[in-house]
Amino acid sequence: MKQSVKVRAKDYKSEVKPIWCPGCGHFSVLNAITKAFAGLGIAKDDTVLVSGIGCSSRLPAYVDSYGFHGVHGRGLAIAQGLKVARPDLTVIALGGDGDGFSIGGNHFLHACRRNVNMTYIAMDNEVYGMTKGQASPTTPADWDHSKLTPHGPGVRPFKPAALALAAGAPWIARGYSGNPNQMAGLIAAAIEHPGFSFLHVLSQCITFCPEQTDWKSIVSERSEPALSDADVAASLFHHEDGFQTGLLYAAPRNSWPGPQAQVQSADISEGFRL
Amino acid sequence: MSKQQLGEFLAHSVELESEARERYLELSEAMAEHNNSEVAEFFGRMADESRLHLEEVAEIAEQHDLPDLKAWEFNWPEEESPEAASYEAVHYRMTLRQAMLLALDNERAAERFYRSFAETSSDSETRRLASRFSAEEASHAAHLVKWLGKLPADPEHSLEEDDAPHMPE
Repeated sequence: MKQSVKVRAKDYKSEVKPIWCPGCGHFSVLNAITKAFAGLGIAKDDTVLVSGIGCSSRLPAYVDSYGFHGVHGRGLAIAQGLKVARPDLTVIALGGDGDGFSIGGNHFLHACRRNVNMTYIAMDNEVYGMTKGQASPTTPADWDHSKLTPHGPGVRPFKPAALALAAGAPWIARGYSGNPNQMAGLIAAAIEHPGFSFLHVLSQCITFCPEQTDWKSIVSERSEPALSDADVAASLFHHEDGFQTGLLYAAPRNSWPGPQAQVQSADISEGFRL
Repeated sequence: MSKQQLGEFLAHSVELESEARERYLELSEAMAEHNNSEVAEFFGRMADESRLHLEEVAEIAEQHDLPDLKAWEFNWPEEESPEAASYEAVHYRMTLRQAMLLALDNERAAERFYRSFAETSSDSETRRLASRFSAEEASHAAHLVKWLGKLPADPEHSLEEDDAPHMPE
């Protein structure tokens, strides 16, 4: 059923109340998603949020749309399958840095390469918050604030934008929880991009990484237009500080599957018939 | 031009009050979830106050044509609407005094926002309404200052997480 009445951002929130710590950046992502939906006038019934496991992956429960709280690191696999089966839906996968770049790292690479027409929002707080401050793939090597890694993880952190570019993502942006309105615009643009869109969000965990409250003074909005040359973008992503926000790279290419290979849900039902 | 100015000002005013209410509600629920009932109750009261101001502004706005702005099309002095508490400025262990100081910052930011329209708009009706809203925010700030004066000073207090991970040796 399509909606004809204008829906406000708060109307996209479900009755389930978040249990995130006060101060968590994920509240901002939730609000940015609902603002993007309201801005685009997206029908709740045509939208699916798919997640993995972790603090951020609880988000689908808080939005009044369809949702699927999947298994650890597999949000992207589920979301891609759903989009291929139901191309009419707006599909958004989301999760944290551990879920997306460690447990689900391989799915992330292949989702960038495959270029299914969907959006992936990685809510990066550089830590596994749900397990009380374990180092994640984006934790700085010298981060020694956790008893779990008292001398720091000692391992070079991933650069998510560089990874996405190398794996073939055609649309890469970065948002920040301190600027939910800019993030809402980026999410709206990501949804409208005809292919795989990757939004890396700096989403602070003030409980286990209180130093991330300083991000507010570090983050800057990139004023230049999005890059379309992969070589230039690679240079940027390898040398920047990781705190520039905005649409960083956009080089649209044909999404997968192409129109000839598109499977309809009726075809899938036929395939399962005994 | 003046109609456009007034419409844009009122659209921003409605959004400002609406965002303030939503953020206070969100904070109240989050604090309640984390057993900080004193601060949860305070943010709940601030949400109620914001609702009253929102209703007042919305009633005025209903009589005018407002532009239909998307969240990212509003023109705020900083990243967010002035009266919305910054996400990273709260903590589940924050005290009532810290919560009140945060609310005071929000009220003062809203006052400055309205005052800038009162001082710079070329439309007389916009200036009149902006002065009124600015004065209301100033009175909210004055109430908070009074309440803060009655509160005892915080005892030594840390916002550090005190529920350390289990580390079997």
